[in-house]
Amino acid sequence: MAGLSLKGIRKNFGSAEVIKGVDIDIAPGEFCVFVGPSGCGKSTLLRMIAGLEEISAGELSIGGRVVNDVDPSERGAAMVFQTYALYPHMTVARNMGFGLRMNGVPRDVVDKRVREAARILQIEDLLKRKPKALSGGQRQRVAIGRAIVRDPEVFLFDEPLSNLDAELRVATRLEIAKLHRQLDGATMIYVTHDQVEAMTLADKIVVLRAGRIEQVGTPMDLYHRPANLFVAGFIGSPKMNFITVETRSQGDETVATLPDGRTLRLSGAQANQVKTLGLRADQLERAQGDAPLTGVVAVVERLGDADFAWVRTEWGQEIAVRFPGGTTPDPDEPLALRLSGRTHFFDADGIALPEVSIAPAKD
Amino acid sequence: MTTASRTPMRRRRPSLLSPRRRRLVVSILLAALCAAWIYPMLWMVSASLKTNAAIFADPGLIPSEPTIENYFRAWTEARIGAYFFNTLFVTIGSVIIVTVAAAMMGYVLGRRQFPGRGLIFGLLVFTLFVPQGYTIIPVLGLLSAVGLGQSLWGVMLATCGGSFVIFVMLFAGYFNQMPDELEEAARMDGVGMVKTFWFVMLPLSQPIIVTVIVMQTLYAWNDFLLPLVVTLANPAIRTLSVGVYAFKGENFVDWGGMTAASTISILPVVILFLFLQRYFIAGLAGAVKG
Repeated sequence: MAGLSLKGIRKNFGSAEVIKGVDIDIAPGEFCVFVGPSGCGKSTLLRMIAGLEEISAGELSIGGRVVNDVDPSERGAAMVFQTYALYPHMTVARNMGFGLRMNGVPRDVVDKRVREAARILQIEDLLKRKPKALSGGQRQRVAIGRAIVRDPEVFLFDEPLSNLDAELRVATRLEIAKLHRQLDGATMIYVTHDQVEAMTLADKIVVLRAGRIEQVGTPMDLYHRPANLFVAGFIGSPKMNFITVETRSQGDETVATLPDGRTLRLSGAQANQVKTLGLRADQLERAQGDAPLTGVVAVVERLGDADFAWVRTEWGQEIAVRFPGGTTPDPDEPLALRLSGRTHFFDADGIALPEVSIAPAKD
Repeated sequence: MTTASRTPMRRRRPSLLSPRRRRLVVSILLAALCAAWIYPMLWMVSASLKTNAAIFADPGLIPSEPTIENYFRAWTEARIGAYFFNTLFVTIGSVIIVTVAAAMMGYVLGRRQFPGRGLIFGLLVFTLFVPQGYTIIPVLGLLSAVGLGQSLWGVMLATCGGSFVIFVMLFAGYFNQMPDELEEAARMDGVGMVKTFWFVMLPLSQPIIVTVIVMQTLYAWNDFLLPLVVTLANPAIRTLSVGVYAFKGENFVDWGGMTAASTISILPVVILFLFLQRYFIAGLAGAVKG
């Protein structure tokens, strides 16, 4: 088990800079997820940690040792590839033991470690099969088994679930979470574009965009206290509703005007800088009488335990609202909504203004 | 073919022939074409079982008085037996050298980026346009320079060059389309380039290996011009194709002996192809599909 430290890591492909100075500290035993839209550099960053891509600038240390120029196999990291990368002509057992065998580990030691990994992953009865004869989920396990056999300091996962169907993806996600506990909290770095995977697996999430870190934090940190508009929109499903507002000072308080002319009174030091109001679907409630938001239900998505209604406001924007199952309005029904729970405010640059809040109602 | 399940679609299209009839007609046409194609070979085998006098007197394919005397004469007097083993030596040796060398070169060209790679590819392709006739004398010169001008080893080495470039291209194309992750996984496992090539990439290129073995065997076994020139001064190291040609004298052609020798010489190739055709076709199809 070892921690990692990335200091000012940069990567250039020719003249294009794809990783633009990344600093992350990952504690020993931590499950760290890199998440971001495609092309944000998360896989490149993982491959740089693995040693498959050179580091253009900065310093990478694993377990306190700088490994910028260390061979991939010497870094103590094992990687699970998106496409599994199993050797098609070898049996599962040979696939898992190949690296050890090639490095001169005695056959009986290799066999023992392969059997132990197979036991952890419950693939003992597959050891004699070739990858062709395995299902996607089984191949995934073998790929993970190949990493376990090496007994690495750090496990690296590159979108390991993206080739599985939806049901299997959920099941394997749970397996990986269990595995993390089972392996005495081995350090794991996991790359995904799926924010649900990130939220459910991670101790620490690193949100990346265009080669830069947008925010680092625990899943709940990111959900409740997003640092900017991008993170707020990326984490959570459905996406956070953003409403553009105009602010003006009125006496000693700030008033924010919604696009339809209704107003909200804001408090907090930076209230006059607010440009965007952020509301999650579960932070809106049906209201009676006077309410800050009104609209007409456009579409309803029923999930059983909860439903999502897409409400078209008077200025034409559709906002998502979560209703407990069975209380959902029907399409075309007019609806008044009030804000409940946390609201988020962002300035003109999209940076969160955590001190701003809705002013308490005056008596 | 599940014709039954397709009939609803087909019924709408008026056709003179039912699918079954159409298949029958196509089969007959193809069989006729095959017969025409294979006739010279059948004639050769038939003639080898007739005496020289009977070959042109008895035009039928089935000999009235079959004899294997031609085979004895060819094997011993015309030294076809010795030539057979010469050819075997040249073929096996060149197949081993060509397969190993082409696979290694194809691997590097197909998977490694290095300065001058494009130039090397260009030069290799360029050599495909040089007719064999132009290269024989320089090749002979090279062989003489290293002291192999009059030896079977020389014939073997020279035979390696025939389709080498095509084989390199086949391997390069095949290795090029293999996923990078296989090599990266091996790299993460601490497996070096040579071992990765030998234990991971080479076994996966089995279809191409079979294709190369079959094509090089055919080429080495049947090549005529190059062995003719190299063995001109030394009849003892002749190969079969050159040996067969020796049946044609200035005033007399021993058709019986020549056809018997020819039959002996094509037999191994036919057997090899029968055994390997499945892999061979798979390899070529795989290379084309990319």
